[in-house]
Amino acid sequence: MLKVSHLDASYGFLQILWDVTLEVGDGEFVALIGPNGAGKSTTMRTIAGLLKPSAGQIEFNGAAIGGVPAHEVTRKGISYVSESLNLFTGMSVRDNLLLGAYIVPDKRKQLETLDFVFSLFPRLAERQNQLSGTMSGGERKMLAIARGMMSNPTLMLVDEPSLGLAPHLVADVFNSLRKLQERGVTILLVEQRVNATLAITDRAYVLEHGRITLDGPSRDLKNNEHVRKAYMGI
Amino acid sequence: MQAKSAPTAVPKRNTRAFVSKYKSAIIVMIGSFILAVILATKAGPSSLFNTLVTGGMWALLAVGLSLVFGVMNVANFAHGESFMVGAFIGYFVFTPISKYLKRSPNEFLSLIAPFLGIIVAALVGLVLGYLLERLLFRPLRGRGKSGWVMNTFLVTVGLSFVMINGTTLLLGPNFRGVPRYWSIPPIEMFGIRIAVERLVAFGLAMLTIFALWLFLQKSRTGRAIRAVSQDETGAQLVGINLNNIYSLTFALATATAAMAGACLLFMFQAYPTVGLKPLYFAWYVVMLVGLGNIAGAIIGGFIVALLQTATQQFFGISWEDVIPTFVMVLVLIVAPSGIFGSEVKGVQEQ
Repeated sequence: MLKVSHLDASYGFLQILWDVTLEVGDGEFVALIGPNGAGKSTTMRTIAGLLKPSAGQIEFNGAAIGGVPAHEVTRKGISYVSESLNLFTGMSVRDNLLLGAYIVPDKRKQLETLDFVFSLFPRLAERQNQLSGTMSGGERKMLAIARGMMSNPTLMLVDEPSLGLAPHLVADVFNSLRKLQERGVTILLVEQRVNATLAITDRAYVLEHGRITLDGPSRDLKNNEHVRKAYMGI
Repeated sequence: MQAKSAPTAVPKRNTRAFVSKYKSAIIVMIGSFILAVILATKAGPSSLFNTLVTGGMWALLAVGLSLVFGVMNVANFAHGESFMVGAFIGYFVFTPISKYLKRSPNEFLSLIAPFLGIIVAALVGLVLGYLLERLLFRPLRGRGKSGWVMNTFLVTVGLSFVMINGTTLLLGPNFRGVPRYWSIPPIEMFGIRIAVERLVAFGLAMLTIFALWLFLQKSRTGRAIRAVSQDETGAQLVGINLNNIYSLTFALATATAAMAGACLLFMFQAYPTVGLKPLYFAWYVVMLVGLGNIAGAIIGGFIVALLQTATQQFFGISWEDVIPTFVMVLVLIVAPSGIFGSEVKGVQEQ
């Protein structure tokens, strides 16, 4: 489904990604893990079209999307839930969600997805008229993920959903991702909580200093010497 | 007992929070109300109606400025030139028709001729705004974000000079105006005589602001415009094409300014620098109420117009710029982000 090959990306003169190659298959739940500043978010931003790659290809369902602007990438079926969420804080929860379905022209379909999203996150249904900027951190994460789902994406890029959340909320967020995957949505997840992430994902890549250093089934990586030492403190 | 007292305590606190949040707004509004009463008793109620007409127009212009700043982060100092273009278009559409009407009178045509001028002015404004955005701001945006606010400010100031002097070159520095749009006698209302032109100008200003507000709140595209003003990255991620939104926003703002110019042709004759004064007053409004606040812009428009009329009445017309500016300085010292507070994020925050 998603094929990234030999990707380089930089901010100005500072190159962040070096020859990153990764692949996400249909319906898979893949994790991208690694230390702070390794370039995980940069990888996501480049795939989402917010950053132009300086070299390499990104292919989505057979079409090249490297360097395509973000709003067109969204139209192709990729949804990016960014680390900073990028919610419309001065708008109600409902307006945020409807904007998530901006590319869906059919109004009935929009409301159908809205109902589904509300059934997945009942909390958002309760608060649909509240301004999104006044919600708690956990609720905002939920809203960002829900907004990402409103465009009926086939691939979701989720960037550090656990950042700054209380532990019991992290479990909620991870559960909702699981449910999403069961619905047939392919997910590429960036996370710092390596243990929990490897427990729910199918496969994982390890990104260090802008390069992919390890990859394989999550089960195997969990027992990998290097991963255990560097990320789990064992 | 405790459960009972809790719900009553909540609205009380809300009222107090509301009062403290809008303290300066409340003071300014009470002050303006007193000023309005004094003006009405000293100069008669017709001066109050004139205040409503000009206030409505300042509000319309201020809404355009607010919209462009909120969405594009452009402090548009060429907004007055859109007003000037509108005034000229209104003149050049209306005058030939009224000349033709002198030869062969036609009641229906004479009724709608001014509206034709106003509509054509708005349409030209729409096209002009689109072109300006495509040819000036889009290339500039391609160069990156650093210094954006300063650069675009300078571009709009330059554009203002070019448009003023271009118009002088093209049409000369002459005044072109129409004394009145309709030959209908003034309407008697609340014991005062009101010119039809003023009534129409006021009505159109309010209608346009209301339509704009409805569009921004309820329509899909309007929601997208608000989304861009709140979070550009988020807007891109949900599939909004930023360039389209910028073009549309600038075109809409230019169209409303051009429309205002055509509406007020009977008050402001068309000449190259006619847009400067409306521009300054629109900026006063924006500074007074804070950027990005449409409801506030309406109230602010009336307050500024009231100050202006009162100054004309009590100090003479040459003080018209001085007193409002002085009041504006006072307001900015007390409430730097406007009396209603700004809904638009500062450049640093974005």
